[in-house]
Amino acid sequence: MKKRTKKIVTLSMTALMGVSLAACGGSGGDGKGNGADDHSASSSDKEIVYWNIGTESPDKDVIAKAVDKFNSETDSGYTVTVVPTQNDTYKEKLVVAMSSGECPDMYSCWSGGPMYEYIDSGFGQPIDDLFHNSEIEDKLMDSAVGQATYNGHIYAVPYQNVSMSGIFYNKEMFEKYGLKEPETLEELENICDTLKKNNITPFALANGSKWTGSMYFMNLAARYGGLEPFQKAVEGEGQFTDECFIKAGEKIQEWVKNGYFPEGVNSLSEDDGQAKQLMYQETAGMLLCGSWYTGTFATDSEEFYQKIGWFPFPAIEDSQADPSIMIGTVGDQFLVFNCEGEKLEAAFECAEAHLSDEVIEFEVENGKIPPVKGIEDKLTDPITKEVVEAANNASEIQLWYDQYLPPAVSTAHLDGLQEVFGLTMTPEEAQESMQKAMDEYLAGKAE
Amino acid sequence: MDSYKKSKRNSVVCWIIAFAFAVFYLVVSFLPFVFMVLNSFKEKFEMLTKAVFSLPDSLNFANYREVLTGGFGRYFFNSVIVLAISLTVLLFIAACASYPLARFRFKLANPIYAGIVACMSIPVHITLIPVFKMAKYTGLYDRIWALIGPYIAFAVPISVFILTSFMKEIPREIEESAEIDGCGKIQMFFSMILPLAKPGLATLAIYNGVNMWNEFSFAYTLTQSSANRTLPLAIWEFQGQYSMNTPMIMAVLTLTLLPMIVMFLIFQDKLVKGMTAGAVKG
Amino acid sequence: MKENSISLLELRQRKTRKVAALFLAPVTILMFVFILYPIADTFITSGYQWNGISEAKKFIGVENWKTLLQDKSFWIAFRNNLVIMRLSICIQIPLGLALATFLDFGGKKLTIFKVIWFIPLLMSSVAIGFLFTYALATNGGLVSTISGWFGGGNIDLLGNPKTALLAVIAVICWQFTPFYMVYFMAAFTNIPYDVFEAARIDGATRGQYFWKIALPLLVPSMKSAAILSMVGSLKYFDLIYVMTGGGPGTSTELMATYMYKQSFKTFNMGYGSAVAGGMFLLITMVSLITMKLLNGKREA
Repeated sequence: MKKRTKKIVTLSMTALMGVSLAACGGSGGDGKGNGADDHSASSSDKEIVYWNIGTESPDKDVIAKAVDKFNSETDSGYTVTVVPTQNDTYKEKLVVAMSSGECPDMYSCWSGGPMYEYIDSGFGQPIDDLFHNSEIEDKLMDSAVGQATYNGHIYAVPYQNVSMSGIFYNKEMFEKYGLKEPETLEELENICDTLKKNNITPFALANGSKWTGSMYFMNLAARYGGLEPFQKAVEGEGQFTDECFIKAGEKIQEWVKNGYFPEGVNSLSEDDGQAKQLMYQETAGMLLCGSWYTGTFATDSEEFYQKIGWFPFPAIEDSQADPSIMIGTVGDQFLVFNCEGEKLEAAFECAEAHLSDEVIEFEVENGKIPPVKGIEDKLTDPITKEVVEAANNASEIQLWYDQYLPPAVSTAHLDGLQEVFGLTMTPEEAQESMQKAMDEYLAGKAE
Repeated sequence: MDSYKKSKRNSVVCWIIAFAFAVFYLVVSFLPFVFMVLNSFKEKFEMLTKAVFSLPDSLNFANYREVLTGGFGRYFFNSVIVLAISLTVLLFIAACASYPLARFRFKLANPIYAGIVACMSIPVHITLIPVFKMAKYTGLYDRIWALIGPYIAFAVPISVFILTSFMKEIPREIEESAEIDGCGKIQMFFSMILPLAKPGLATLAIYNGVNMWNEFSFAYTLTQSSANRTLPLAIWEFQGQYSMNTPMIMAVLTLTLLPMIVMFLIFQDKLVKGMTAGAVKG
Repeated sequence: MKENSISLLELRQRKTRKVAALFLAPVTILMFVFILYPIADTFITSGYQWNGISEAKKFIGVENWKTLLQDKSFWIAFRNNLVIMRLSICIQIPLGLALATFLDFGGKKLTIFKVIWFIPLLMSSVAIGFLFTYALATNGGLVSTISGWFGGGNIDLLGNPKTALLAVIAVICWQFTPFYMVYFMAAFTNIPYDVFEAARIDGATRGQYFWKIALPLLVPSMKSAAILSMVGSLKYFDLIYVMTGGGPGTSTELMATYMYKQSFKTFNMGYGSAVAGGMFLLITMVSLITMKLLNGKREA
């Protein structure tokens, strides 16, 4: 009797081990003999592992098209395997992989702070030579190449979307109340007052997500003081407590008090669609956000999209700053390479495929604005055309603060600004905490 | 006589109050679920133009059709396998470990128990990198088998904690009388303790089953190809960088939830049976 | 005779130890591989200034721990955790017990209650987060609508730093109460049937049976439940991250969300590890002390 129970225990133990052993064996040995069976993030053979955030259409399809083109046409002997990961967890997945030295051969990311961090840590290779010998050098917009450059070297290939921040508005509503696209901030405020009087929330903003409110701040700061104060503050020569930032914060608080933003603005969630919901329900008249919203509107409802107009953030009357400055990203997604020699060449070839005419055409069809010169001629949609023109006419384009800044500084900026919107912090306090984070970052870097 | 009547009336009043509260709490528990299901039938634009808590225009199953024709089946299958293996092994080894901790007297019992309790306080995220490295090292990366180890390990502390306290409550006389009959410790475990711990095991099966079914962090760290994803990752296909297709996600989540409700229906029955079985034996 | 009995006892004890070792082995191995090794790794990493991905790590000794002790954000997060802990214990456990009692008294007829009450625990955090951001929305959300019926204005629960944490706690309680319900249901079944029978024969009413007999018997289960709820709320992450991301400001920041942001979002893996280590030490300390206090009382 006793023996039998003992047997049961031993048996179940062996079964436990067996499961894990079988699993190990399965992966180590008998493989199905094709490349796809090798699942490592950085494989050594003729496979290039490519991570990106294209989990949903149309991004997924664009990437698939580019990679299929490469896989079917290349002479390099390499094949690219696509690994899509959802956006929210993508950065984390990259950190986990990189910290174990298992970075994928090629990955897509945003430009700015995190990308610089990857490069500084040795997970991005300069591609100057390849780039200068490639036809994409002439193809890409200069500002796009600028956002792919770090420390004087080109590290990435921008491919996805030109996204400028600007104001979307409901044309029907403007017509109804006799409103025109504003040229100055004062005119914009007049529009807001008119809408407010008619019980319409001027701006649809869901600031629970924090970066959405930053759009207002960046544009106001750029209109008050241009980009110089920001650039100086980043380099450690200036301060984030500069007048233009304080003024931007004060203007935001003034607008909050005037009721320009929806009630409970800090609890609304952009991810859950609570900003566009206000536009769709026509309880809000305008929305300041990145121009990817054209695609969002169009896929949600083509009919509603017809009602939408767009204008860049207006100038401020008594400010010296250049009103053509735009805030946005020229490329959105940038391909970074973590391989060398032949493999790098092959990976670069795949990146080039992302910018081939057929893929670009496909992107345009899906409402994207690939960052290539002369794209305005290919576009038919009036709003995206306007966006590209604004980008082309811009004296300078500043990348979103939250992407551009070192992540710790960007967190301080977003957290502080959210409290500015909530009126629980003064603009001065918020800017001081941002400056403190910047000081700490620079001090850490100097060591 | 009088007091008997009074207490009877009191108890009726109590029942009415309790019942009213029960119904209220029923609504509170059920409404979000109802809204989830309602929204899963809507179209994207419809959901955003009308209040989220309104009825859908029509019962269209297009969302479900699209979800089911995607990779859902594969994810579902993976989830079932991982859950079945992890849960079985977990319950068995947790019961094994709780038995000596609850019923034996030996020096190391308390330190081991304290150690396991301490393990409860581990935040999952600190283990991601080490576990990722291990998965790489053993070649289990991007295989559903890689999930089993961490799933069991992370459920062990809480399970042992609950089972130990549960087994401690089993009357000692049962064991003593069995011991006199010459029943060994191991045999005692299988023939007495394990059956008596059934309600506890059922509780754990439900709780850990839900956790494993919805587990996200390990699933996305340890797998990458779509053939090896589990259900919680299925919502990816409807969640882009700037927008998400909420009704579709609600459809995925509803489909994910249904098997759990079925599982609960099965196991909660075990809870009741545990009681009657205990009554007979006790 | 005496000698013989001692050696028998010893023999028995040795055997007990053997069986204990056999039964504890698989769990112990798993704990070492998947939990103790990562903890050790975390404590080692906390000694470095490291961005989490670079090969270059700089050893800085206890610098991170010194920073942690003075880090206001961390202690705010800890305080928020304590608020969640207190309210979770005070709400989830009594409520769970009440529901379980109701079901225990009602018997099989009430299965439908049981199943529906249990649903919140089954739902994924993504769905809960989404539905509650809409349910708690200032304009048109459920709470504001109800407040409107009584002539009140709109209520901004999640956007107001003073109420955001409470609002999230309410949702957390909503999610986890069913667990304690099932837990106590199982505990009820552990009460031998003859105890109930005997009480019945003595003429005790249901209420008397519950307060005088069942409740004292459930005390050990309640203690365990309190510990579970405590540990759970001190390491809580999911819903907060989905619903508020720690905001507005730092009003709903928790130790776990803070650690996560440091480690994975702002490239401070070294410091993030110190936060994780601190979190581990704090939770373990709090829970072991509580356990000691609770069990001490029982034995006395």
